[in-house]
Amino acid sequence: MAVVGAGIVGMSAAHFLSRAGWQVTVYDAGVVASGATGSADGAVSVASKKPGPLMTLAVAAVKFYEQLVATGILVDEYLPRSTFVVASDQEELAVLERHAGELEAAGVPIRMLRGAALMDVIGAAAPAAIAAAEVQREGHAVGYRVVERLRQLGGFTIRRNCRVSGFKSSNGRITGVMTEQGIESTDAVLLATGIGSMHFLAEAGLIRPRKGQLIVTDRAGADSPHFPGPLMSCRYLVSKGSQPAGSTAASRSLGLVIDPLRTGQFLIGGSREDRDDRETADADVVATLLRDAVALSPSLAQLRVIRVFSGLRAATRDGMPIVGNVGGADNVWIATGFEGDGICLGPMIGRLCQQMICGESPEQDISALDAARFGLTLAAAA
Amino acid sequence: MSGPEVLVIGGGPAGVSAALELARAGIDVTLCEQGPQLGGAIHRQPNDATQSVRVPRSHKRRWRALSDELATSTVKVLYRHMFAGIDATGAVLLEDRMHARLVTRRPTALVLAMGAIERVAPVPGWQLPGVVTVGGLQVMMKSTGRAPDGDVLIAGSGPLLVALAAQMVSLGKAPVAVLERSTRPMSVSVIASLLAAPAYLWEAAGYLLTLARSGALPRRGAFVTAIVPKDGRLSVTTLDRNGRERQTLVDRVALHDGLLPNSNGTTAGQHAPFIVRAGDCREVLGGAAALADGRLAAGAVLAHLGQIASVHKGAADALARERQAQAALNTLFDYSGRDPAELPDETIICRCEGRTLGQLRALLTAGDPVSPREIKLNGRFGMGACQGRFCAEWVASFVASQRDGSSPPQVSEIVGSRWPVKPVPISAFVTLPPSSPSE
Repeated sequence: MAVVGAGIVGMSAAHFLSRAGWQVTVYDAGVVASGATGSADGAVSVASKKPGPLMTLAVAAVKFYEQLVATGILVDEYLPRSTFVVASDQEELAVLERHAGELEAAGVPIRMLRGAALMDVIGAAAPAAIAAAEVQREGHAVGYRVVERLRQLGGFTIRRNCRVSGFKSSNGRITGVMTEQGIESTDAVLLATGIGSMHFLAEAGLIRPRKGQLIVTDRAGADSPHFPGPLMSCRYLVSKGSQPAGSTAASRSLGLVIDPLRTGQFLIGGSREDRDDRETADADVVATLLRDAVALSPSLAQLRVIRVFSGLRAATRDGMPIVGNVGGADNVWIATGFEGDGICLGPMIGRLCQQMICGESPEQDISALDAARFGLTLAAAA
Repeated sequence: MSGPEVLVIGGGPAGVSAALELARAGIDVTLCEQGPQLGGAIHRQPNDATQSVRVPRSHKRRWRALSDELATSTVKVLYRHMFAGIDATGAVLLEDRMHARLVTRRPTALVLAMGAIERVAPVPGWQLPGVVTVGGLQVMMKSTGRAPDGDVLIAGSGPLLVALAAQMVSLGKAPVAVLERSTRPMSVSVIASLLAAPAYLWEAAGYLLTLARSGALPRRGAFVTAIVPKDGRLSVTTLDRNGRERQTLVDRVALHDGLLPNSNGTTAGQHAPFIVRAGDCREVLGGAAALADGRLAAGAVLAHLGQIASVHKGAADALARERQAQAALNTLFDYSGRDPAELPDETIICRCEGRTLGQLRALLTAGDPVSPREIKLNGRFGMGACQGRFCAEWVASFVASQRDGSSPPQVSEIVGSRWPVKPVPISAFVTLPPSSPSE
């Protein structure tokens, strides 16, 4: 089994496939977690999902993390906690109430906070909030640490800095993986290549980079206000997934999440920009995010920014991930296009890919993600 | 003034020299200094002019000439402006500490003259309060005009050790001990090379004479093996060249293992201005070379702007002379630090995040060629406020020592290059005026 891509999806799939008896090699043009997995915020969260298949899958994915902790695989790597979706004015409150209703309908435990309860829970962190929805039973996992744990558990081989340039096929089946070091034979292929997936597919423009910028602060002092969990401004819901990739409308939108990390530092994000320069962030976006953050949580003004960084998400044309069999070769699968949900969905998707590849029926309904909706085929060069 | 703007970062001899040369050519030049006064580390001026540290006369002359010319030049000086990096759009970010705000500039060219950073080789206990760098202590003394309180032990390697010790003696406070790791002898060829830049010999002779008179000459071949807190002070374990161990109780330990150019994590992105480095920020050659290098950097900027720069034969010659002298000087010292294999596992390597050698070792035992990026992410080395500027070298050399030369990690793969290059208060960030929404 050749898994292409050593991000959270590929490494999770490699873990489960190797335990299902496959001899797995993971190839990556870079190193482990060098793409979006290494620069994600780590939200294992349902709070921001829109109603529909993604919300349902996110609920299942959170439970899957709990299972992985219970079975000893991700001990200490998953921190259960609530997310607080916050409204600061009447317009945001309307969005908040509608969204909280949608989450409840999907079976997510929600506690609406107003008045004294609001002040009690997040009053110190966000004195400007007029209401908040506590989205319970979700959590946080650092993408690269999840992947590192899977690496340490082993059972498969990792080939770093080993770019897969294409595949050798015979009678409608892939029989080999082409790399700079030559062709290596394989029985099956899983493409978990995120933004790099376009290289392997015939359809142009299906997956576009969507840049995100994040801010890291220094550690807050002992006297700083308590944050019970991440605060997500309601405006984030308006921002997220509101623009299909490549649309000419707003090429940049900002949402606000203030995430208290275990280290005492804060991660403040983020942007969604249709561009592909991942290496640096710009002061304008950072200053705008920080202005919004301080408006919501004035105590943050006492901290310092130690670093800003950016990453590229893989956004699909219709905003939904792509998981399934690739046309034109019956032993090639793909799992890509998770945009901002890779850390949340990744481990479960790895498991579902293993089930699909083993010919079992996946334990979650992923028909909405089926690659067949785009009629995907491998690129001629691949 | 219209026309191209050039920004010079750093108010030491290289920065001032570059700014003056540009101003002479009629360029609109702004000099940014992070502190309240110009001078850099070498010409740090006293806060109170009545109290000052003894510095060589040649240093004083050099600085007086530069500051006199600056006073009558067109160079605009911004004090308490810290360079925070260059963002993705090419904007140069400056933290204006005078007004607690962040400002951006879009100069045509940028001269980086931010001097050197001090290397300190890891030793158990080097993260403790009271452990400082030799250069840091020297700058503090230059600012305050006073020797530090308490007993001081100086250790490591390099000419700065005796300079600090002699300056302390002149202020009436000899260090408890000066430990110079190196045992390398001075050869005839070294003396011959140093004669090309005799100022070093005179300076060194003056310092050593001062130390000899006060009985504080360096113990060569001796080094620190551990520092532990004891009774509110620091107990320092040292090893002499003959293998004799001893404990010394002091209040401060000043460490130093050479200097490195301050790379500052700044890289030239696609939209960045034309960038030239000058002085110790480019190559550590000292104050005299910085003067010449500043002129050369200005020449490079002028050439970039399409102006015919005056011929800098003299500056290039001066630089070559200083390079030869520094190379000769460096043969006398031993900047290697201790072999990391001899350090105990609990030795802190990354002082920002408190990560130890043992934690680094644990990352490497998996039998899989873990990449520098994975070491960085999972080990947290290079993930703190300094982005690895003070530990990347040691992490890389330790990893290399554990592998059979197959894929030694590069320092550049561990050290970060993200802005802000130094922490910037959020309260300063929020003052940045919003850009037009058309972008």
